[in-house]
Amino acid sequence: MTLRFALPDVGEGLHEAEIVRWLVGPGDRVTRDQPLVEILTDKAQVELPSPAAGTIRLVTVPEGTIVPVGTVLVEIDPIGSAVITAVPVAAAPLSAATASEDHSAPVVAIGGAGNGARPKASPSTRRHAAQLGVDLRAVHGSGPGGRILRGDVDAVTSPMSDVAADVASPPGGQGRADLAGTHTRAAAALASGTHGLSGSPGLSGPSGSSGMSEPPRPRLAPTLGQHPVGTHPLRGIRRLTAAAMTQSWSTIPHITGMDEVDATALLDARTRLRRTLTERGDSTAAAALTPLVLLAAAVARTLRRFPLVNAAVSVDGTSVTVYDEVNLGIAVATPDGLIVPVIRHADRLDLVALATAMAAAAAAARDRTIGAEALSGGTFTITNYGALGGRFATPLILPGQAGIMGFGAMRERPVVLDGTVVARRTLPVVFSADHRIIDGDLSVAFQEAVLAAVTDPLTLLLGV
Amino acid sequence: MVVGEIPESTGVLVIGAGPGGYVAALRAAAAGKAVTLVERDAVGGACLNVGCIPSKALIAVAERFHQAGNGATFGVRAEPELDWSALQAFLRRSVVELTAGVHQLLSSARVNVLSGTARFVSPTRVAVEGANGVRHLEFDDCILATGSRPMELAALAVDGVRVVDSTGALFLQQRPDSVAVVGGGYIGVELGTALAKLGVRVAIVERAERLLPELDASLGSVVGKRLAQLGVAVHTKRSAVGMSAEGLQLDDGVVLEAEHVVVAVGRVPNSDGLGLDHVGVRPRQDGRLEVGPDRRLARHLFAIGDLTDGPGLAHKATAEAEVAVAALCGERAIFDPTVIPAVVFSDPEIATVGLTRQQAEAAGVASRSFRFPLAANARARLDGEVGGHCEMVVDDAGTVIGVHLVGPHVSELAGEAALAIEMAATVEELTAVIHPHPTVSESLSEAGWGVMGRALHVHRLGARS
Repeated sequence: MTLRFALPDVGEGLHEAEIVRWLVGPGDRVTRDQPLVEILTDKAQVELPSPAAGTIRLVTVPEGTIVPVGTVLVEIDPIGSAVITAVPVAAAPLSAATASEDHSAPVVAIGGAGNGARPKASPSTRRHAAQLGVDLRAVHGSGPGGRILRGDVDAVTSPMSDVAADVASPPGGQGRADLAGTHTRAAAALASGTHGLSGSPGLSGPSGSSGMSEPPRPRLAPTLGQHPVGTHPLRGIRRLTAAAMTQSWSTIPHITGMDEVDATALLDARTRLRRTLTERGDSTAAAALTPLVLLAAAVARTLRRFPLVNAAVSVDGTSVTVYDEVNLGIAVATPDGLIVPVIRHADRLDLVALATAMAAAAAAARDRTIGAEALSGGTFTITNYGALGGRFATPLILPGQAGIMGFGAMRERPVVLDGTVVARRTLPVVFSADHRIIDGDLSVAFQEAVLAAVTDPLTLLLGV
Repeated sequence: MVVGEIPESTGVLVIGAGPGGYVAALRAAAAGKAVTLVERDAVGGACLNVGCIPSKALIAVAERFHQAGNGATFGVRAEPELDWSALQAFLRRSVVELTAGVHQLLSSARVNVLSGTARFVSPTRVAVEGANGVRHLEFDDCILATGSRPMELAALAVDGVRVVDSTGALFLQQRPDSVAVVGGGYIGVELGTALAKLGVRVAIVERAERLLPELDASLGSVVGKRLAQLGVAVHTKRSAVGMSAEGLQLDDGVVLEAEHVVVAVGRVPNSDGLGLDHVGVRPRQDGRLEVGPDRRLARHLFAIGDLTDGPGLAHKATAEAEVAVAALCGERAIFDPTVIPAVVFSDPEIATVGLTRQQAEAAGVASRSFRFPLAANARARLDGEVGGHCEMVVDDAGTVIGVHLVGPHVSELAGEAALAIEMAATVEELTAVIHPHPTVSESLSEAGWGVMGRALHVHRLGARS
């Protein structure tokens, strides 16, 4: 008996997904729960495990194709009499039509769906999406039969939306036992074209404890920038990044301010706090307490004092929403592209809690085990592009936010101190703001307030 | 530039005044543009002058005449007499009244209408050759809407006397005894049916396996049965090879006696003779122009209607006109219909909107369908039609993706079907809409119930594949 494995609903209400990469091919022997294929839903990249042990007979959908739920992806010849728990093929809610009334052809179409599966939306919704530059294929439809409503289009452009939750919760509930082994990988909201904190020896690394030695230049992957000649479709995280960045670039008028601050006090504070934590026996927290944690704390608490920076202009540009919580996104570079884990209520966490949360998020992002929930709802983003070098950058604001702050590489640079040029470790700081609501005065005031905490970290003791 | 040329300037230049061009001109004028509309023939284009409108007038007259003489079963006995010249006058009057309306609209919108043939001489300028010489027009934006013309067959040169195109067939001087129609597409079927009802002996020659080969076979077969009742001889899988003294020669040696031969084998885009090389645009092999989603050919140049890909239908051209003008005015507009409905004024009428089962399968869309017979629809029965049906196709989420009707008055239902599909309505929603009784529109909700396995006015006839 051949088992036909169809695209399951990996998240409540999922309508379709993109086949990103096949991990197996025809003739391959697979074990039960062995990952078969990577798919990309509108919020997360997911590996689908094999429902049974057996031999791959046929792969029916090519990479890069977007297919609706229920489409057969692969045919497997199972071994033995294992109980098969594959998702039923074409679980159509209306399939009660009798054979006598149903003209022709199989209920399930196999393969090559792509152009046939047109997103369902009314003309006005399609027009709305076209005007926003939103690709409807990446929008989850909440209407009858998976119809995309106007609000669904708006939702993908708002970071406070809860649509992400639809695909966020790791599957495993009733009827989804077959997916218990699924890994949900982050893919949502993507940040500026900068680098993240992952494995970065810059701010988060162990060096710089006393500022004596220059941190080593980070090693860049040898595959960076390598690609075969020719024209290729944008897939997976790259496609989502392209859409988010296009929207940011084309709808948000950016202004970017740049400054540089003496980081000696910040690094000193980090060293002393780390020593204290180590003496208390909490080496995990000590390791997690990087300079970036102190910077994140400074940003999150400063945001509370400047609500308009923790806000977003509506999609149609006629209103501003000021968020009532500070959820800090942190751009992380992964081999698959940029993802932005969100630390909820970052302004209310004490330094140890913040350090722990950031370390966990970065690890989950690198391991690709982060849930879509942890990627949604950001109200402001920071990017540590300096981890890979570079002094100044002009990061792009995530759609649905009003600002992004970036930190350049900390190095020893000449600084004038009391009329004398001395070598000090300095931190370049850049701040891109949505000029529709943030003028130069507010931009500078916010940036100065963050820098004040860098030069005087004691202020971080105030008001958690 | 030749010395002595004094170019006039216009904001928007529209070339071609058919249902694409005149709508583009009106919309652009409403948007505040200075608009010049160039037409080499008659305002209204093929649709108003020699296509949709006069052919529907002919069909309406033919239907009245035929009904009058075939009403015995309804208790009407009559021997109607056909006044061919009055028929022709009605056709011409229909055309004149409607084109006059368009002229009036253009004039009150302050569209400058120029009579002549336009040709590009530079990327921003055309020469318009009219009765009073050549004028040069410099434009900011240009919309090409030059439409199409009947395709000609090498073996059957249209002489306008014995061999005519679809236009000639509409405006014959007197009623012929016999006509052979070459081409069994919708134009050939419409003309053949009307002429047969007017008492002409009609034969239709179609190269494909069946009439209306571009449509689902289930639709054409109903029309084919009716044509047989009307005494129309249908020769499928046959080609015309030429004329002889006796009549039209087919490739199997048969000669069809025919006073006139009507060539209706398709249409070709009017993309030649426009001087498109001056704007750096080259039509494809099939004469079509490749445009972007906003119907743009080049930065300030757009093409709509029969010049672009898709069915050569007036309403498609009109819809594209709206898009092109919006794009020209700086809006982010794209031509992105889910469906372009098509209607055939055959007997009975055909309306086909969206995907058939076959097309859905080819597109990789899982689908189900139900075919509701119009024999179970009261209004259709009163019209004496019992052969038609309404087929509804839905995807696996129950969203309506196709509606295909053949029966009386069904052309009027194409709009509702298109609305349902464009709005991505589900079959539950469609059946929740109350359809008035007694109308053929009830067949839409009946077919919807059928898809859900809950057909109301259909006997369960047992297994049928």
